[in-house]
Amino acid sequence: MKKLGLIIKREYLSIVAKKSFLVMTFLIPIVIVLCMLIPFLLTKMNNDSATEKQNVTIIDETGALAQAVKNTPLFDFVTLKGDDGKKTEAHEFYKKAGESIDAIVVIPANVLEKPEVTVYSENTVSPALLKHLEECLTDTLVGAKIQGYNVPELKKIIDDCDVELEVNSVKWDANGNENSSSTTAAMIFGMILSFITYMFVIMYGAMIMNSVIEEKTNRIVEVIVSSCTPFQLMMGKIIGVALVGLTQFALWVLIIGAVMGITGLSVGGVGTDGIGAILQAISSINITYILICFVIYFIGGYLLYASLFAGFGSAVDQASDASQFSTPIIMIMLIALYAGMACMENPNGSMALWCSIIPFTSPIVMMVRLPYGVPFAQLALSIVLLYGTAALMIWFSARIYRTGILLYGKKHSVKEIFKWLK
Amino acid sequence: MNFIEIKDVVKQYDGHLALDHVSMDVPEGIIYGLLGPNGAGKTSLIRIINMITKPDSGEVMLGGKPLQPEDVAQIGYLPEERGLYKKMKVGDHIVYLARLKGLDKATAKKRTYEWLKRFDLTQWENKKVEALSKGMQQKVQFIATVIHEPRLLIFDEPFSGFDPVNAEQLKQEILRLKEMGATILFSTHNMESVEAVCERITLINSARVVLEGRVDEIKQTHKKNLYEIEQVQCREPLPACENLYSIEKETGHSTLIRLNEGVASRDVITWLNEHVELAGFHELLPSMNEIFIETVKKLNK
Repeated sequence: MKKLGLIIKREYLSIVAKKSFLVMTFLIPIVIVLCMLIPFLLTKMNNDSATEKQNVTIIDETGALAQAVKNTPLFDFVTLKGDDGKKTEAHEFYKKAGESIDAIVVIPANVLEKPEVTVYSENTVSPALLKHLEECLTDTLVGAKIQGYNVPELKKIIDDCDVELEVNSVKWDANGNENSSSTTAAMIFGMILSFITYMFVIMYGAMIMNSVIEEKTNRIVEVIVSSCTPFQLMMGKIIGVALVGLTQFALWVLIIGAVMGITGLSVGGVGTDGIGAILQAISSINITYILICFVIYFIGGYLLYASLFAGFGSAVDQASDASQFSTPIIMIMLIALYAGMACMENPNGSMALWCSIIPFTSPIVMMVRLPYGVPFAQLALSIVLLYGTAALMIWFSARIYRTGILLYGKKHSVKEIFKWLK
Repeated sequence: MNFIEIKDVVKQYDGHLALDHVSMDVPEGIIYGLLGPNGAGKTSLIRIINMITKPDSGEVMLGGKPLQPEDVAQIGYLPEERGLYKKMKVGDHIVYLARLKGLDKATAKKRTYEWLKRFDLTQWENKKVEALSKGMQQKVQFIATVIHEPRLLIFDEPFSGFDPVNAEQLKQEILRLKEMGATILFSTHNMESVEAVCERITLINSARVVLEGRVDEIKQTHKKNLYEIEQVQCREPLPACENLYSIEKETGHSTLIRLNEGVASRDVITWLNEHVELAGFHELLPSMNEIFIETVKKLNK
């Protein structure tokens, strides 16, 4: 046990002290936060930029509609009346005005019959201006048209007919009590958890494989296994790397939280409404229960795959030869991830059921199903199967490992490796 | 008393027999040579003594008792394929390996410093292993092998890759450890080093023990009655005497003769004294290298 502790400690420190670990740990959260915040920041910057304010002149031939167009931080509107009964020559007007105006909007007299408004400019007209005009004028035009029919209360009738269907989902518990749940939040939450599992297992599985191969190419391994058993060395590696992963994960959560907090404040509350809504939606799911299950599945899935990476890593001499074994493992993970995505559509269908019980896919697929509620019997079966298989895989990998680490200079086929199990 | 007793050990790998009923006794406190060509089974046997692998059948006793997992603390092993973690600091690395062998932290640190001082490596203590030259790395490996003061030391091809100066230093250290009471098992196919340090040897060929015993006795039993004769008048040819010896080879200043079966060297000296003026008369014992090659060749026929 003391030796295992020493190996875990060395494994942990050797990775954590690497520069690449520090870079990954601090850079990734910053990149994630930036990706989330850049759209907000850009919008805000756009709205703030007073220097780019544009002067727009509206020539309103109807003489009644232009007042509907309100000034915005981006555009200042000046309304002119068009000459009665005469078509406006926008270009002449523009030449006279010189550079003081950026665009001219012409609202023709017959706009009610033929709903068309034209914007003239020497530059490309900004989409924001077009959108703003459309928003402001459409309602006014609709209102004016409705009024033109002279039917009393017509506007009210039309408003009343505007139906937007809302579909609510209500889930009964065993006693038939109603539990309203937010389907979207459940879906997103489950997907995030399954993606974390996927990412973590692939990243750290590859790390274990490299560490095994490194020891082999270094020729240190024979010295080490003359002091401890190959099993201790393998488990020390698996556990040490798991602790590295947990450290990195905890740091990410902290850093993302801190950076979000700081930038969130400086952005001035942009997005906090959104986050609040998400938090509220998540709290409608049984979060403690799901997180406990997540940890259970996560550890089981990690042990299962990490031991495979370690076992097959011991069968190769160089990192460049490792892909023949790592690719199939990653393929299984990918299948599990896609199965998880597919199961979001129908979390209680038979595919979701089977994939959440089969040990190789269950750590990922079950995460998607959990927020929708899973019968206890299925959950228990799936966990027992997962841990049973993980134990079997550790046994299996340990046998490959103890032979593989001492064999040099030859590539081994899967068939040969299975012979080592004896 | 025998410190290691290997009884009838068999080990098979994937249809290939690596050790075929091998038995070997290593007395306590001597340097013992385990010899054999490449692929003979030396490393397989050493791995079994180190408990890295288990024998298919047979038994290994250490100090009169069957090997126990705790015995690794009593064994120091320098494998042929040896290396270090490149990114670890020299001091930390030695301490880590020492603690894996069961030393506590304080003792491990103290002894690491003492050994680094001994090998003049103290200024490298906080450098990474990759910064060391190959010779220095091998010294670090040696320190890691002996730091827990094991009673049994196993060196697999210890001198491979060492320059002559470092090889000599290593040899002196090994002899010093023997003086301090350690039993040393020396696996090699480098026969010169065997003659220099080993008292007893076992020769393994194709998974079987083919020769075993004290080095001087083996030499006696394998001698071919060859003597080297030097004369004061070195240009004169040696007179022939078919009753006593045959002349094998004549060189500028000496002659190689083979004594006939049953002839005592004393009689030859008497006869020669009457005929020539002798300057030297030595018995030529075969080198271990010759015995090794001869034995292996004879078996492979």
